[in-house]
Amino acid sequence: MAKLGVPAVALVTQEFWPQGDFVARSLGMPDVPRVKLPHPIAGTGTANMKAVATQVALEVIKALEGCLD
Amino acid sequence: MTDLFRAESEEAALEDLHTRGLTDGLPVVIPTPDRVSQMVLASGQEADMVLGTMGPGHGLATMEKVAVAAVMAGCLPDYMPIVVAAVKAVIEPVFDLTEMQATTHCTAPLIIVNGPARISCGPVSSGYGALGPGHRANASIGRALRLTMMNIGGARPGASDMALLGHPGKFTYCLAEDEENSPFPPLHTTLGFGKEDSVVTVIGAEAPHSVIHSGDGDDPKQHEGLLDMLAIGVANPATNNAMLSSGTATVVLNPEHAGILHRAGLSREDIAAEICERCQHPNAELHQLSPGFAPSQAGVRKAFRSPEQLLILMAGGSGLYSMVMPSWCAGTHRNSPSSSLVDFEFACEIPGAEMNRSTSPNAKA
Repeated sequence: MAKLGVPAVALVTQEFWPQGDFVARSLGMPDVPRVKLPHPIAGTGTANMKAVATQVALEVIKALEGCLD
Repeated sequence: MTDLFRAESEEAALEDLHTRGLTDGLPVVIPTPDRVSQMVLASGQEADMVLGTMGPGHGLATMEKVAVAAVMAGCLPDYMPIVVAAVKAVIEPVFDLTEMQATTHCTAPLIIVNGPARISCGPVSSGYGALGPGHRANASIGRALRLTMMNIGGARPGASDMALLGHPGKFTYCLAEDEENSPFPPLHTTLGFGKEDSVVTVIGAEAPHSVIHSGDGDDPKQHEGLLDMLAIGVANPATNNAMLSSGTATVVLNPEHAGILHRAGLSREDIAAEICERCQHPNAELHQLSPGFAPSQAGVRKAFRSPEQLLILMAGGSGLYSMVMPSWCAGTHRNSPSSSLVDFEFACEIPGAEMNRSTSPNAKA
């Protein structure tokens, strides 16, 4: 998506952050926008997911706005 | 370009390779320039010939780098054409190598060898313990593919290979089909290749799960129970196949079980259709077990879109047990198999390296 010029941000949990680094580097996109989430997210329930979403929403918007700069 | 490291001795070189994270954790044969050159020579191709890129690191798989892995894995030069075919197969886009290497699932490429190369580039065992220890070609060919996936593809546990536990087949996972004793045409002919072609088929697979079944010659319906058991094994509700559906899985029939099904008048295609039909679960049952993966709705969920999503072959010793390998079922191509011709037209026999060549893939020492 990002390579196509579509504003994109990857949401990556803490545990997978190093993998995200590796993949971003290997794709030649070390600075691809990413936002870090706590781990785990899957299966933690709607209330927790909403709380995390609220926590990171601003950061996600800023990252997407950065794509338009 | 392949990096060249220097060390004072083979022991020091081994420790250096371990320290650099370039091994699978077991001792390797040190890939000296001479050994690598010999392996490249055996391929009959140029060292800088590019087979493709391997994800997730997007490393360039040259013939020389593949040869390095083959040397490290302990391959004989004879095996090189099969190793090359296996690398070509996993590089095919349909195999989704990048996603497969990065997933949290335990999936590993199962290598199935068909055709004359089983013998001329092996022997690759298809008999007793073919997936276990003691078969040099099986052990080292599968290991060579894994080393390419690590050292060219860049898969490192916990950093770029996120398998939560993995499984022992990630060290090596290779067998041949027992074409000589199978009542069915060879698997590769079902996949569209000619009988005289030599073909490597790779499929992402969980560790083998044993399926027990004792035949009963007095029961004309004995095959029904066997089909039921195979279906339960390959797509029980705890598998990704049942929950996520639409990924290809593998069934390895032992000679007895293949015979039971053959005598019931079933072809390979019929067996796949019968198992496919049995691999479905009520949505309500799946929802109760795992609501996150199975929404509450009426009807059933089929584990396989069609019978073609079941790879069926015959291998192993004679007895009660067949093996099934459920699968990951994700990636763009949903865990599709990939096949590649073994090209040994230009392969070169290396003087002094030809050892233990046998005319049978099941030869005993």
